[in-house]
Amino acid sequence: MREVTCGHGRVVAVDSVDLDIAAGERVALTGTNGSGKSTLLRAVLGLHRQHTGSILVGGRGTASAVDRAWRRQACAWVPQKPAAGRFPLLAGELLDSAGAPEQTAEAAHDLGVGELRRRPLDALSGGQLQRVYLARAIGCVAAGAGVVLADEPTAALDFAGQEEAAAALTALPVTLVVVTHDRELAARCDRVLDMAAGRLREVTP
Amino acid sequence: MTLAIATTDVGALLQLVPVQRAGWALLLAAVGLPIVGVVIVGLDIMPVRFAMMHVALLGIAVGLLTGLDPMLCALVACALAGAGVAPLARSPAGLSGAMGLLMSMAIAAALLVLSVSGVNASGAFALLWGSILSVGSADLVVVGVLAGVVPALFWWRRRDLALLLYDRELAQCSGVPVGALTLVLLVLVSVAVAGAIKLTGALLVDALTLLPALAARRLGKRLTTIALWAVAIGVAVNTTGFLIALWLDWPPGPVLVLTAGAVVLAVHLLPERSITTWRAQASPPSPPLPSVPSVPPGAPGAPGAPPASRSSR
Repeated sequence: MREVTCGHGRVVAVDSVDLDIAAGERVALTGTNGSGKSTLLRAVLGLHRQHTGSILVGGRGTASAVDRAWRRQACAWVPQKPAAGRFPLLAGELLDSAGAPEQTAEAAHDLGVGELRRRPLDALSGGQLQRVYLARAIGCVAAGAGVVLADEPTAALDFAGQEEAAAALTALPVTLVVVTHDRELAARCDRVLDMAAGRLREVTP
Repeated sequence: MTLAIATTDVGALLQLVPVQRAGWALLLAAVGLPIVGVVIVGLDIMPVRFAMMHVALLGIAVGLLTGLDPMLCALVACALAGAGVAPLARSPAGLSGAMGLLMSMAIAAALLVLSVSGVNASGAFALLWGSILSVGSADLVVVGVLAGVVPALFWWRRRDLALLLYDRELAQCSGVPVGALTLVLLVLVSVAVAGAIKLTGALLVDALTLLPALAARRLGKRLTTIALWAVAIGVAVNTTGFLIALWLDWPPGPVLVLTAGAVVLAVHLLPERSITTWRAQASPPSPPLPSVPSVPPGAPGAPGAPPASRSSR
């Protein structure tokens, strides 16, 4: 990332961020609420369009439609606040969207949500939903994603679940960028970066 | 005092060609239009009928001004308007706000064109008021094509559609071409609604599209089952309503809308428990859940672990 600045209207959420993350590195992004962590992650995914500067993943930008499609396939996403959803969707349909049904089903089973495939997402608890999204991200990795961008992936989980999810995420053979307030998860990462008022600083060299 | 209701011989009426055509049109419409209704409910664009009526009026005004076929101009105007508002799906207000904007701008533009060209406004509006009993062969072809194209497109793209209607960003991150799909959906919805207004009259469009979808939204728990319920309710309502209208010699439009509305009300009054029981009977049995003692400590479902394996509702 070079000189990445993101805004919400006139409010600057991310301010001139420069960041290099090596392939396979696990990076934790911490900081106070509203410091711009989620916005930065969404900018990488192409979900936050109002930004300047350049963001390359695997050396590729998002200038063409092919590049944008590649970015979406290369980056698996665990959203912070999973969408409430305007229309019903079954947990199984969400899991299948990862593109690797067998591995996703296995991950769902390991995370304890394998039996919930036929349940609508709005009938799941916050923790169950977060586990389904984690299993989906693991499925995306099996389908070829090399980067996982996880936004507070353990926030809705209990202590045992947080440990389990942290272990599953950090064991993945991918580049991991995880926004978290969970010290255990941050400790499992190679680097910890802190964000304050849109600015980034390295906490662990 | 007794209230006498005149009834007619339905069998004799069904021998009449216009009545037969109307019956076929309603049956065909019940296959395609309720699925359009499901998309309308899913995209949260329920004011689409009003928006399309005004856009169609603008198209008719342009047609009358230029000497082109007014109805063709109306359909093209609706298709362009649908495509035109597609980029607004990205905005926070979404498409619901876009439909309001479209409605206001279209009626203003239509009145301006009618005023400048000196065309009689009521004459232009009259072209919009179709009737199910005046359906011609060409109209039957249009509903027939809709009955084929809409379910086929729906089935082909059902997975993408389910993700898009659930959440646009999730669909985008799952590789769904959300921009193109939204554009195609809006064009299809606009043309189908505008075409149906011409065929059946503005009031009946709701009975054919929205009302079956609203009832189905409560009965199904996923997109495909909602669409199947919508078509089933559409066929049942259209058949029953049309036969009642013939039997009592009442106008079909209001009878069909009231029948569909009664079904929506009845479905919403059903207790949630009975709907859940139907769903359970309709779906294959789930695999048995692991019993609590067999779960190792620390695993999901064990004491202290999240309630992941408790799937009873």
